[in-house]
Amino acid sequence: MERSAVNREIPSHIEGYGDVAGRLYEGAFARTPSGYRSGPRIRSSSPHDGSKLTGGVKEAIMAAGVKSGMTLSFHHHLRGGDHVVNGVIQACAELGITDLTIFPTALFDVHKDIIPYIKSGVVSRIMGSVNGAIGRLVSEGGLSSPVVLRSHGGRPRAVISGDVHIDAAFIAAPAADRAGNISGQMGRSACGSIGYAFTDAEYADVVVAITDNLQSYPISPISIPGVYVDLVAVTDSIGDPAGIVSGTTKVTRDPIRLLIAKYASRLIEASPYFMDGISFQTGAGGIPLAVTAFLKEAMKRRDIRASFGLGGITGYFVDMMKEGLIQKLMDVQSFDLEAVRSIASNPSHIEISADWYANPWNCGAAVNMLDVVILGATEIDMDFNVNVCTEADGALLHGIGGHQDTAAGAKLTIIAQPLTRGRIPCVVDKVHTVTTPGEVVDAIVTEFGVTVNPRRTDLMDACADFAVSRRIPLIPIDELAERAKKMCGVMEPIRTSDRVAAVVEWRDGSVIDVIRQLEK
Amino acid sequence: MRRTMLYLPGSNPNMLLRGHLFEPDGLVIDLEDSVSAGEKDSARVLVREVLRRGEFGACEVTVRINSTDTEYWRKDVEVVVSCGVSGLRVPKVESPQTVKDMDEEISRAEEKSGIPRGSTKLFCLLESALGVWNAYDIAKSSPRVTAIIPGGEDLAADLRTSRSKEGAELEWIRRMIIVAARAAGVDALDTVFPYVNDDEGLERETGFVKQLGYDGKSVVHPNQIAVVHSVFDPTERETAAAKRIVDAASDAEARGLGAVSLDGRMIDAPVIRRARFTLMRAGLLSDGQRG
Amino acid sequence: MTMLDSRTAQAGTLESMDCLVTVTGPADGRVIEISGSSAPRFKISMERRVNDVLDSLGCDSGVRVAVQDNGALDIVLGARVEAAFVRYREGDVR
Repeated sequence: MERSAVNREIPSHIEGYGDVAGRLYEGAFARTPSGYRSGPRIRSSSPHDGSKLTGGVKEAIMAAGVKSGMTLSFHHHLRGGDHVVNGVIQACAELGITDLTIFPTALFDVHKDIIPYIKSGVVSRIMGSVNGAIGRLVSEGGLSSPVVLRSHGGRPRAVISGDVHIDAAFIAAPAADRAGNISGQMGRSACGSIGYAFTDAEYADVVVAITDNLQSYPISPISIPGVYVDLVAVTDSIGDPAGIVSGTTKVTRDPIRLLIAKYASRLIEASPYFMDGISFQTGAGGIPLAVTAFLKEAMKRRDIRASFGLGGITGYFVDMMKEGLIQKLMDVQSFDLEAVRSIASNPSHIEISADWYANPWNCGAAVNMLDVVILGATEIDMDFNVNVCTEADGALLHGIGGHQDTAAGAKLTIIAQPLTRGRIPCVVDKVHTVTTPGEVVDAIVTEFGVTVNPRRTDLMDACADFAVSRRIPLIPIDELAERAKKMCGVMEPIRTSDRVAAVVEWRDGSVIDVIRQLEK
Repeated sequence: MRRTMLYLPGSNPNMLLRGHLFEPDGLVIDLEDSVSAGEKDSARVLVREVLRRGEFGACEVTVRINSTDTEYWRKDVEVVVSCGVSGLRVPKVESPQTVKDMDEEISRAEEKSGIPRGSTKLFCLLESALGVWNAYDIAKSSPRVTAIIPGGEDLAADLRTSRSKEGAELEWIRRMIIVAARAAGVDALDTVFPYVNDDEGLERETGFVKQLGYDGKSVVHPNQIAVVHSVFDPTERETAAAKRIVDAASDAEARGLGAVSLDGRMIDAPVIRRARFTLMRAGLLSDGQRG
Repeated sequence: MTMLDSRTAQAGTLESMDCLVTVTGPADGRVIEISGSSAPRFKISMERRVNDVLDSLGCDSGVRVAVQDNGALDIVLGARVEAAFVRYREGDVR
């Protein structure tokens, strides 16, 4: 048994993952790269016919040479509307291919269709975020190898450094031409940014674009050029538009969420980063969106403009850019129709890859330029460690997303979350799973006020000095935990077995924690 | 201060437990209109438990009980008073007799629970033309009465009209009640503004009652609190001016001077009283220092 | 005991931070069933609360108490059990 720097017991060897000794989490910035980047097979295409059309998905799988035991990669830019993962796995099953490792950026509830193929052995291993039904299956021991969870930045790092070698990448392409140029910006399945797919296109041995919108050569704009793409498969539908993008994002009217958002926005306004040129990432959740709305008021009141907004982009950010309150958007994932329209038409709305967004092992990811990030959590503990992966019952239900990367990169990392969800407290003595270490978390905001990490005395002073009329209630972490305990009572323990169901990697590839299988 | 008193439905645990987090000046836990006839029993049990828990931050805690023409009110009084609340909000007060009936019942309950007699105050809702007409007598009928409040829907119906956003039907009533309240020495609190998504309408109506002299307004949604507070709170300029006046007055007092002057001008006593009130509103002076 | 003697009473809701309590009887002894969002982490203390409330109300006959929880704090659970049991005992069946 080993112990990571956040005091978690981790087996020295994890069956189906490997030796942990030597890659135990030692600190947020402890592990640094050496040596050279890994690389894919070199290939060429024929000089007189650049067409890569191969027919449908099944033909493409055969042409790509997919065999049992290989690693296939997928991306979640079509989110809950994606048909590509299910389609490819089903076709592999029909072709008699088994024992696949799938390497998705994330799987959602829509992908529960692959559960029968997990049970029948077509898929034997998952390295990637699992949400919902598949997460529960994994927690209950439904997969023989542990799931490996990586952040949005940790995943391209693993590819580039050679931790993961991709045999074939299947990229959902809302628009493509016969030479394999790809864009996410047009077509019935338009999703905006396809930033999660970039690194896989560059590093996979074979790259297959799957499209329901074949256009004449060359398409424009091009996100991923055909120089990386081997094959183009055409299918009726790569996704359900209703699940790909949401409608107009509206700011919540839920008073508790608004209260939390108000305190978070005041904390940002009181911080030293609230000045012309500020940058932030707030995402699409109820509280973060409301923080953005309050921040917008404060920016107008204090005549401040932001240099850029980062990450998953919503129509709300787009509107702020139109109003001149944000100058640039750096978009790894476009959440709604407004964001999709904007990235396709406004040069200040920049499509970035997950590598560019968040990888700790390149020459500078965008997160390192970030001032403020608002994040969520299922649990936070007395050491400010954050769990976003497991739910109250101990089941793995959420991926890491950009949580680790933005928390590590930003100057001010705020976790904004109600103190309780029903009777379940969000602030606890010890989180069930450490996703992000307290070392990179600066403040927690709940309906009871702002809880500043004690190492950030500067923030505490800034809050105390803030205008009386815009009061920021400060509450220490132990008081917050005590309050939660008094309200909810003491939780009964989660019963787990010793078997590791999932490994949580820190963004640098070290093992920060493991998620153990639940006892029946 | 009673700038805002937030209604919390007595059958809704979520709001009962978290209402104080929105920091209204007071809470009105409701056993009346927001609780259906079939849930009066369960709401009373729930409200009792929440009152016993007693976590309401700095809020003044009151309970709106059922009116004296129902079968519920005596039980409501018994249970609620025994938990030790700041006051009861009594619906449909028509005359001093309603207050007397209530007063007797409360006194019995106070005695039974060992609570000092008279500590439970009354907030009287005047929801009929007769009740409004008797406003002054009602306000004077017991030392328990601490505020009078015009009704909304019921009152409009009794006047044979309906509620409107502009509030023409309540305009004269609001004027009458503020005069009665001031004459009797109790607070005048306004009724709710029911359009929870119309912040501008709320701001307009609050501005009107503030100008009339009201002490505050009842609110039905947490999101209304900030709007009402912003109307009642003095601006920074008002606060600064008031502070100079109060400082000058304190200075004069300390030096034993009878007259107060600022920038070479004499300041009258009502102006000083007004300045102290402004500072209290701004949270820079406690109630006791109001003078 | 005939079927006619069987009674059910309820209190509470399935709204957030509330629970729906169903009391049915007569039953063979006291049976408590807990389900819902808090159950994985609070089952034992919830059962204890139900027992305490029933005891304090002098419940000495066999009843089945089913709690469908949606995040009720202990005092809310207690209030709902009390209201449901009083309704059950007083024959206020709804």
